[in-house]
Amino acid sequence: MADGSASVMHGLTSVMVTVFGPREARSRATTQHDRATLSVNDGRACIQRGYVGRILEFAANIKSTFEPVLQLYLYPRSQIDINVQILQSDGSLLQAAINATTLALIDAGIPLNDFVCGITCALHDATPLLDLTSLEESDLPHVTVAVLPKSGKITLASLETQLAVERFDEMLRLTGDAAKVIHIEMVGVVKARTDRIVRAMDSAQASGGARGIPDVDAEMGE
Amino acid sequence: MPREVEPPIVQREFVLTALKESIRIDGRQLLQGRQPQLIFGDELGWVECALGKTRVIARVSGTIGRPRPDRPFEGSFTIHSEISPMASSVYEAGRLSEEEVLITRMLEKVLKRSDAVDREALCILAGQQVWQIKLTLHFLSDEGNMLDCACLAGVAALRHFRRPEVEVVGEEVIIHDPTERAPIPLSIHHTPICVTLAFFEDSEHPIVDPNHLESLLMDSQLNIALTHLSSSTSPTLCVFQKAGGMPLTADEIRNCVEIAVRRARVLSEWLEKKIKGDWEGRKASIEVH
Amino acid sequence: MFSIVPLAPRGREYGPTRHHPSVQKDVDMGLDLDDDLDHSSRITSPGEMISSSSAVLRGHGTYVEGEGVIASVTGVITRVNKLVTVRAVKSRYSPEVGDLVVGRIVEVAQSRWKVDVNGRQDAVLHLASVNLPGGIQRRKLETDELQMRNFFEEGDLLVAEVQAAGGGNASLHTRSLKFGKLRNGQLATVPPALVRRLKSQFHSLPCGVDLILGMNGYIWVSKHVKESEQLGEEGFDAEGVYSNVNDDIDNATRAAISRVSNVILVLARHHVPLTDMILNDAYDWVIEQGISTADILLGEAGESMVLSVTAQLP
Repeated sequence: MADGSASVMHGLTSVMVTVFGPREARSRATTQHDRATLSVNDGRACIQRGYVGRILEFAANIKSTFEPVLQLYLYPRSQIDINVQILQSDGSLLQAAINATTLALIDAGIPLNDFVCGITCALHDATPLLDLTSLEESDLPHVTVAVLPKSGKITLASLETQLAVERFDEMLRLTGDAAKVIHIEMVGVVKARTDRIVRAMDSAQASGGARGIPDVDAEMGE
Repeated sequence: MPREVEPPIVQREFVLTALKESIRIDGRQLLQGRQPQLIFGDELGWVECALGKTRVIARVSGTIGRPRPDRPFEGSFTIHSEISPMASSVYEAGRLSEEEVLITRMLEKVLKRSDAVDREALCILAGQQVWQIKLTLHFLSDEGNMLDCACLAGVAALRHFRRPEVEVVGEEVIIHDPTERAPIPLSIHHTPICVTLAFFEDSEHPIVDPNHLESLLMDSQLNIALTHLSSSTSPTLCVFQKAGGMPLTADEIRNCVEIAVRRARVLSEWLEKKIKGDWEGRKASIEVH
Repeated sequence: MFSIVPLAPRGREYGPTRHHPSVQKDVDMGLDLDDDLDHSSRITSPGEMISSSSAVLRGHGTYVEGEGVIASVTGVITRVNKLVTVRAVKSRYSPEVGDLVVGRIVEVAQSRWKVDVNGRQDAVLHLASVNLPGGIQRRKLETDELQMRNFFEEGDLLVAEVQAAGGGNASLHTRSLKFGKLRNGQLATVPPALVRRLKSQFHSLPCGVDLILGMNGYIWVSKHVKESEQLGEEGFDAEGVYSNVNDDIDNATRAAISRVSNVILVLARHHVPLTDMILNDAYDWVIEQGISTADILLGEAGESMVLSVTAQLP
């Protein structure tokens, strides 16, 4: 059973991420003595030639996005595995995968410095578009950005199509604002879930405690 | 996979403290890149590029073949690159390391996906015969920033390459020998230049063109490919790649793009001059004969 | 347009608990507004500032950046004097000295075993920390080292106590007759946060089932062994203690073991902290309602069961 999992849907794009760990590192070669090793695996099947590289790059992007955000130094000699599974694809895959990974890591209770919010942005003439579909992605110059909402800093930015330099700056600023909206949404989901679990645990405790279960409160340190 | 041995802690401290004082170990300014060197081979389409001790050979070759059935009017352009153990002992033959994947993908994006080569101009006879252009990159030595070096070598080789002229008479294709008719260059849409910047957690300013030691110690790297760099046109971003690592603000990123534009302009101008110079030299030798 | 839906690995683990209409009213009444506010203000998520770093000491689940103490996990903020911690609602087991854990041998190494205890690292059980045949106080011999697999081999389950712990690592011991290899039952896995420290982690349910609530979330449900048999004779019977063969278990006991395991899984799915009282109540309810063992795991039956043991006010 996974330690944490989340699935994210942006329109028709649907991504599921599971997180295992931190757990004992399985291979000695990759064990690091002062921090946990992060590994990301994309479970897509490679059909086309030349696709292998694209998938490896996708996984490497997610890995390097989360490495500085995760407090890996807390878990020396351990390993954290992130498995990304694209369930349905209609553009903005990296965006969805980043958001799902953030939620899955939080679900697993692994310490993070901040949320990571992914968002794609394209430019149609002078009109910016957010959260692109496949069709929009294939025709328009677009950029995928991952933002840390607390500081507003950008950890990942990837542009693969030609774009005038001045336009780029404008798009970055827009994605910063969009990421804030996504952040609010994600915090809402996380808090609602945590609240639900805490309530469930408390209510059972309240009724149990009344019937003389010892030592439960001391554990909570209240 | 043999892992890169991490530099000793004291050396790490030394380099990072020096960087904080805006001093680089090899004596360069923070924003000063190494001056590249291009060596053009006797054959057209063979270029060796050296960036300090980083060296990459690029070779362009062309054959005539059938087009893909779904693209009858287009020739093909493929990039073949493998980082062999020759470059550095961390690379293993036949096995993809993460770094290699990223370099290869980046080259694909810069040279292929940005449509630097006009593929439609490679068509000889629609649906029947097209030019298949192949760019092969050999990484000879890794002293940091192989991507910029490979990109420069690749672009120079594409510009340097000449293909024999072909003539279509009815259904027949005549290939003229280079000694009969002067071979013609590829039709190139634009000439992208790649600039790599590295960031360190402690120092405020990015550095341009990290060497091997700096790339081991850096916290984040930024690859920017730019085109349309002549002074009369406004520069265009072709690829912008920051894959995780240390987070930056939008202002810092804009600043980086400006730095990259400045360096790319210099490199672009220098490259044009070099290619022209080589071509002039060749003309002279023909006249002697 | 986008929507974010966290999914549990199994079914609708985090789906809202639906209540029977008649009970829902009571539940709603039970939660007054103050309580509600209190809750949401105590819950935090990564990147959220908790307080200024000069006023408090930072504990687990927080980090300091500039002037502020910031949460790094999602959970409830707890304060003890100046110490502020955030406990993640779900995380791996972090061992503490004296904890009773159930583990599984994953590796036999040089004079020690590696034990999976659902932690961030495998725990270590030294050869010197187990009881060997032929008297408890016997010296360890080289021959013992060569036949370690006769005591525990890969895949064996055992119950042990944490002897030393630090930085996620733990070393275990089984130097008590209560500890050692497990047999005659089955393992149920729940999130470690649901197992609370009780006076004893060993329980005998009236239905003829023994229960070991490992603090690491591994729970051993087995056939009841009589006190007298358990202690055995003075001389410590190696055959019995390190035996890999199950005793004869009659069908009624087997059914009871499965029923208890399923009750545990369903309660865990609804985040109910596990105690022997609650398990007992739930078991009785299942018998009363005549629900078959397999049906406990189905949504409706499980939900009504959880409701009956948690929502009934004293």
